[in-house]
Amino acid sequence: MIEASGTPLPWIVWVILLPLIGAMLCFLWPRQGKTLGLLTALATLLAVIALYFQLLDGGVIRYAVGGWGAPLGIALYADGLSMLMLLMSALVGVGVSLYALGYFKHSPDNPAGFWPLWLLMWTGLNGLFVAGDIFNLYVTLELLGLSAVALVALAASRDALGGAMRYLFVSLLGSLCYLIGVALLYHAYGTVDIALLGTLVERNPATHVALGLMVVAMLLKSALFPLHFWLPPAHASAPAPVSALLSALVVKASFYLLLRLWFDVFSTVSMDLGMVLGVLGAAAIVWGSVLALRQTRLKLLVAYSTVAQLGYLFLPFALLSPLAWQGGVYFVLSHALAKAAMFMAAGNILAFGGHDRIADLDRVAQRLPITMTAFCLAGVSLMGLPPSGGFIAKWLLLDAALSHDQWGWAVMMMIGGLLAAAYVFKVVGFAFTQADAPHDAQPVSPFMEWSALALAVCAILLGLNAHYPLELLAIGGPVTFVSPSP
Amino acid sequence: MSTPLLYALAGVGLCLLGLYGLIVYAHLLRKILALNIMGSGVFLILVALARRSGDSPDPVPHAMVITGIVVAVSATALALVLLVRFSAATGRNQLDDDEHSP
Amino acid sequence: MGAAMTEAGLFLLDLLLVLTLLCLAWWSLAATDLFKGIVLFIAFGLVLALAWVRLDAPDVALAEAAIGAGLTGALLLTTLSKLASSIDNPPAKRSSPVLLWVLLVMLAAVLGYAIMSLPQQAQGLADTVASQMGNSGVEHPVTAVLLNFRGYDTLLEMAVLLLALIAAWSLAPRAATSCEMDEALTVSPIVLALFRMLIPLMILVAAYLLWVGAHAPGGAFQAGSVLAAAGVLALLCGKRLEGRLAGWPLRLGLVLGTAMFVAVAAAVMVGGAHLLQYPLASAGKLILLIEAAATFSIGLTLAMLFSGQRPSRGPAS
Repeated sequence: MIEASGTPLPWIVWVILLPLIGAMLCFLWPRQGKTLGLLTALATLLAVIALYFQLLDGGVIRYAVGGWGAPLGIALYADGLSMLMLLMSALVGVGVSLYALGYFKHSPDNPAGFWPLWLLMWTGLNGLFVAGDIFNLYVTLELLGLSAVALVALAASRDALGGAMRYLFVSLLGSLCYLIGVALLYHAYGTVDIALLGTLVERNPATHVALGLMVVAMLLKSALFPLHFWLPPAHASAPAPVSALLSALVVKASFYLLLRLWFDVFSTVSMDLGMVLGVLGAAAIVWGSVLALRQTRLKLLVAYSTVAQLGYLFLPFALLSPLAWQGGVYFVLSHALAKAAMFMAAGNILAFGGHDRIADLDRVAQRLPITMTAFCLAGVSLMGLPPSGGFIAKWLLLDAALSHDQWGWAVMMMIGGLLAAAYVFKVVGFAFTQADAPHDAQPVSPFMEWSALALAVCAILLGLNAHYPLELLAIGGPVTFVSPSP
Repeated sequence: MSTPLLYALAGVGLCLLGLYGLIVYAHLLRKILALNIMGSGVFLILVALARRSGDSPDPVPHAMVITGIVVAVSATALALVLLVRFSAATGRNQLDDDEHSP
Repeated sequence: MGAAMTEAGLFLLDLLLVLTLLCLAWWSLAATDLFKGIVLFIAFGLVLALAWVRLDAPDVALAEAAIGAGLTGALLLTTLSKLASSIDNPPAKRSSPVLLWVLLVMLAAVLGYAIMSLPQQAQGLADTVASQMGNSGVEHPVTAVLLNFRGYDTLLEMAVLLLALIAAWSLAPRAATSCEMDEALTVSPIVLALFRMLIPLMILVAAYLLWVGAHAPGGAFQAGSVLAAAGVLALLCGKRLEGRLAGWPLRLGLVLGTAMFVAVAAAVMVGGAHLLQYPLASAGKLILLIEAAATFSIGLTLAMLFSGQRPSRGPAS
């Protein structure tokens, strides 16, 4: 472990400050929003990469803001897991920023707020991924949740406003449940520092209630079945770049926070709950996939697919082996890239034809070949076919299930894969057929097509380079993440 | 019963009242009121238990609650703007209750 | 004997306060007329401020009275006036199934049990804060925690407030031109005279609260909300920002608090110190600088949130 004080540039600070500064600049000069936003996105990406090399060199980073150190001050903390999340957000973030350049040129949605709100959301995301303090996490959660709601409402349609409203209530309710947990932990142990809490926490009523409340809060925010009701309306009605950000990153942030709490704070008491989460995850896979299959609108289909795919993230809680955890984290990464690409492709189709009725896709495959390629590549990853990132993730999960003879979980994953194939092929099928009535079409910006394709290709490449993320994950990860021989 | 405990339990009561209001009432303004009351309940738990430290109370939860109050007013402001827009767009002050059942 | 009497009396007072709080919360939620509900909510906030005083949390009491009750109440009332109807009689309700009651009762039991199981005495971080007060640059513990020990939380919280404003602006329809608004309002001369007297007084109070925060209850948030109240009064009296100030000067004012915080937090790193690690000699001044900028921005932001519109910049928007 290194103290990041001596280094001239503590990148762990700049990954938070850069998007915040960018957001303020975009707010001050709205007309330069695009340029400033894109520059900020690139600068943030570079800062994340610099932090990555710092982490590779020196291992886990702990940074005492204000120089006070826990328990008085706030600590920032980055290990392999946080780093993977930061890299994932930076990659998707840059992709979506490029996409937004094209999207807001022709869209009726309000572009003025997009750049500052998205950069504030990025601040919240990065702040959350490197926070080492549960109260600080509450503030980052609020920054993240409120900016996500405001971004959904940019679409300003009836559906979007209703979806944003419901999302806001769920988000605030989740934050308050989390905050009760923080209050109980602080008053039981006299600190909100994660590392200190990890050493102090013992089995007692306050701990158990705090664990229960915080887990429920994170399940609500991650939309795990049966708390998923708010996700499809919000994710489907948002502007396309926002849908991509929400499905790829925002729901993952609360999942990440759940992992942090599970392993770093509650490791001595949390294991009793694991089976429940696993079962809910399995139910989410089936229920979400079936509903995705029944949708007639493309964006709603993609949104329900998110409900289903999030289910996989919770299987490791029941499988309880290092392999399963690696699989779960790998799933987070591959789903982020694939789902962002898929929502962007869906946005292109919507912008192109002016609608997203699946039955009327009308030879989109011939007319938007790049977009359709992106959609199919993302679909390959969602189905878990080789050589995609989704394949590696499912492989690890299956391996974990089968090596302990847990056939039930393996069967669930197979069913989930088949259902995913069914809903992806449903879209692809209609994309090749000709509709009864021809439709007018709008041109789609090349930024929108190529950025979708780039992220989809990244989702595939993730499957070809599996050892990098897994090695990174091993840096400072909880013991359970590191298997003796992967 | 000690003073901190009394106020902390009142905080629990406010949380539950707020939760009940949030779930049961359909009017969006009432839901926003309910969330604010629930928030006040959480703040009360935080500050009440800080009184257990004898003569001078623990200032850290006080600072946390001041942060929390500012976050709460920000969230309320956003919720209210959203409500005005929603109400103007739909002519309604409540979400369709069947919207979320799939 | 006398001490015991006071003890019992105070306990009765606490009990009364707590019951009033719960009743006000309930009445506020269940009021048939939403206007009445909001007024009761404001009353709830004021009684809650009394509760904070009883819990020896004067800083929280000030923040609650000014922001929690005052500005939130003003925001709620102005929203109500924009809604189609303020009547929701009888309150539209979902039928409350047995399951909900089971959930609530269980939650009450579990939370209550968890709180009662906590030790009766706990120091928390009180001693740690006390031992480091000398290095904080201020004399008031809550200000030290907010601006120094846990200053990073406060920085992000300023970002949350800014976020709320950006979100409100991106959602709000653009304001009608200022002259239309002024014509619609007729304010009696007495109110205007009162207003002219009140505004300097409120600015003075805000400045005092800001300054006193270094060694007594008060500080940027309380001062900012008093400033915001002055802004709300000005808006109610029909005052509008001049067109030439409504563009980037206004936006600069709104980000000033967050920007100053970030600038100071980052600037102290130049000498190799950590983020927000003020040099001891200048800590007090730097904190005052941050707080002054924050007060200004908080006041402006809250007043702008109350107005609910982006001020127009005249003909060329």
